[in-house]
Amino acid sequence: MNDARALKRGDHSVGAALCIGYVVLLGRTASDLAMSRDESFYVHAAKRYAAWLSKLLTNPMAALEQQSIDFAWSYNWEHPALMKLGFAWSWLAHQQWGLYPLESLAFRFPAMLTAGLLLWLIYAWGASVMDRRGALFAALAFASMPRVFYHAHLACFDIPIAFFFMLTAYAYWRSLADRRWAPLAGVAFGLALATKHNSWMLPGILLVHFAWVRVIQARAGRRERASIAWLPWMLAVGPMILIGTWPWVWNDTWGRLGSYAAFHFRHVHYTYEYLGVSYFKPPFPVSVPFVMTLFTVPLTVLVLGALGLHRQRASFRLPSSTEFGDTTTRRTEVLWLGCMLAPLLAIALPSSPIFGGTKHWLTAYPFLALFSACGLLGIVEMAELQIWPGRRWPSVALLGLCLLPGAVQTAHSHPLGLSHYTPVAGGVPGAADLGMNRQFWGFTTGSVAPWLREALPDGGSVWLCDTTTGAWAMLQADGIIPRDIRAASSMLEADFVLVHHEPHFKEVDYQAWVALGTVQPAYVLRYDGVPIISIYENPKRDRSKRPEDG
Amino acid sequence: MAAVASFELIADVWIRAQVPADQSWEEAAAFVRARIGPNDRIVAAPSWADPIVRFHLGALVTLRSAAPEDSARFDRMWELGIRGESTREDPPVLEQRFGGVRVRMWELAADDVAHDFVDQIAHAKVELVQGDASRPCRWVEAPRGRGGLGQGPMAPDERFVCDPSRPWLWVGPTILADLTLTPRRCIWQHPVGPEPVRSTFFDVPLGDRLVVHGGVDYENERWRAGSPVTLRIWISDRLAGELVHRDGEGWSSLAIETSSLGFDRATVRFEVTTEDPTARVFCWAASTRLTEAADE
Repeated sequence: MNDARALKRGDHSVGAALCIGYVVLLGRTASDLAMSRDESFYVHAAKRYAAWLSKLLTNPMAALEQQSIDFAWSYNWEHPALMKLGFAWSWLAHQQWGLYPLESLAFRFPAMLTAGLLLWLIYAWGASVMDRRGALFAALAFASMPRVFYHAHLACFDIPIAFFFMLTAYAYWRSLADRRWAPLAGVAFGLALATKHNSWMLPGILLVHFAWVRVIQARAGRRERASIAWLPWMLAVGPMILIGTWPWVWNDTWGRLGSYAAFHFRHVHYTYEYLGVSYFKPPFPVSVPFVMTLFTVPLTVLVLGALGLHRQRASFRLPSSTEFGDTTTRRTEVLWLGCMLAPLLAIALPSSPIFGGTKHWLTAYPFLALFSACGLLGIVEMAELQIWPGRRWPSVALLGLCLLPGAVQTAHSHPLGLSHYTPVAGGVPGAADLGMNRQFWGFTTGSVAPWLREALPDGGSVWLCDTTTGAWAMLQADGIIPRDIRAASSMLEADFVLVHHEPHFKEVDYQAWVALGTVQPAYVLRYDGVPIISIYENPKRDRSKRPEDG
Repeated sequence: MAAVASFELIADVWIRAQVPADQSWEEAAAFVRARIGPNDRIVAAPSWADPIVRFHLGALVTLRSAAPEDSARFDRMWELGIRGESTREDPPVLEQRFGGVRVRMWELAADDVAHDFVDQIAHAKVELVQGDASRPCRWVEAPRGRGGLGQGPMAPDERFVCDPSRPWLWVGPTILADLTLTPRRCIWQHPVGPEPVRSTFFDVPLGDRLVVHGGVDYENERWRAGSPVTLRIWISDRLAGELVHRDGEGWSSLAIETSSLGFDRATVRFEVTTEDPTARVFCWAASTRLTEAADE
């Protein structure tokens, strides 16, 4: 790898094309996904914040009163505001100009944009240090991880934090040799802080890397040392952006920031199935992030990542092995390794909640993709010397072939991305055999919308199980579910009862049996033969509304 | 790397190709439907395929057979299996393949059930014992829960209501998710404390033995933090047995020999107590049986 190459306009053209292409793809496939539980909460928050923003524009003095701020911002105070502000502005713009074909897209677009920008960034960083084919491979390998593709659609924070996490690392890395990047590192860190608490681990990673580089430089006798200007910028600008974008903490700042931190340090534990056990309290298995990565990231990418790590192994040697006069670099590989391992290790702690599965360590995957690119380039460079000298098309073909498994699986995973497992796990049925989590958040309800529309042509009611009423309302707002099919608050009153299949939801299955007096579902949504949702029909519902009767 | 990528692509396609077609399920279901008896049970292998089996054959599955207290009361067991999975290791008496779905059938050494207490709960007398006195609970139609995660077993529309101010204090048939999340059709009889909640059944045919099972709802038992629950069984005013359920034990059982008691019919009383009734969603099932068979 190069220490750093200046990017050209063409690099940014490629990055922009990746960004735009991915955002368009996400936008065109978003209607297949009902909103997840968390999205529905963030949408509700964004609407409240939007109302406050409108007030701020029309009556700023009243908006800035504590009562007004607290009224708007007390909802969903457990997450910083940046992305929800983005959702709110996007929605306000949609209200004004009708920008999006779907209401849900108004909220999802800002996060989709960060997904596109993340591809651009992966490409840019890759192109800075390696053959551009590798950079392109890294961006596309990340984009075609099935779980990444799912999360990239959502009005949530997991892909945005992956972007701001990497942006901070990139700006820091640039600042080591060019102090003009130090303020940008501070800004990027602030945006990361204002997005999600995964950002808290960044200073630790960067400090370890910085110390690593400085020790090497000292032992090598270099007079030029990496700049530490990034640190004061991050310490000063980071909190300013966090607080500045989050009106909730403008009052009782320390108390509320303390509550925010305490919420995540003492987070409740939801039930999560892993290797046949439904975990609901610590200690959780240390293996979770590693096995889930093995089971959900395409095997080809993982193998290439391992080859990439092996290829760069010389770069990981300890600083103590450096001798006077040795050449020095920014040890980009060490930084990438830290950024890849830290999120995995943080979740591997037995006390860390695991209920969100891969989304909790998605920040690691852009760096995994870059190591995969290193591995691929190692093979390509060797092959171009020894196997197909002078010809480039076999290299391009190999690159394409290595992307194909991820692309095929991602296409097949949509719109059930959280239920997807790679062939390493035996696919979706193999994962069911192994007792792996099948879904969460209740978003799979979107996949039974056509069946419900057909079953309830004259309207009716559905008991939603794990889907929130907010998510249902969004399906209605998007025109995917007619407004006369309402959400029932009780199984007993519903025409149809949904049960999302997870082991701990068996309780709900049995409730439906007793409530409806039948164990026979009217429909079972399956993915590769594995049940995702059962739908029970209430035998007491108005039979005249059944399609076969009408 | 080309080999790894090709392997992954082929493996992905192969895995999807192994998924049984709907037609296979339909043919297997039709085969079972044509042969099933009134006291047969249908199961799925692996267990995650159970919703698919119930989709095709659910009309033949009663709550009792979907959520049995044990497997000793069925004449035959039909298994619809995929992916080479099976619930039993012994050879079946019948086996037939329909594409990717394998139907297997075993004949079971079933007990004859003389009296199922869950079936008969509406005819019992239920009361809260308070010192030397008791307060009767009335069999009424009462409001039910809405359903949902953490809500516990669904109340039936008709049940004994003991204290409307304590909505959990009722006695009636329901389905419990036990510690292994297995469904158990049983009688909800939540204890109130050291003084018993009592259900009394009259003129019960005793058979050769009385088999009792009990457990606490998964959501509560999994914490392993609740007080033990004691279920005392009285036959004709004599203490015949005691099932003490401690969290972590799951669906527990007790068999009481009744053939040597010297009478064929008797009054049977079930009393549930605990030191601390917090989150003691206790549910029991019992039946008197005529022949011996291995429990589950």
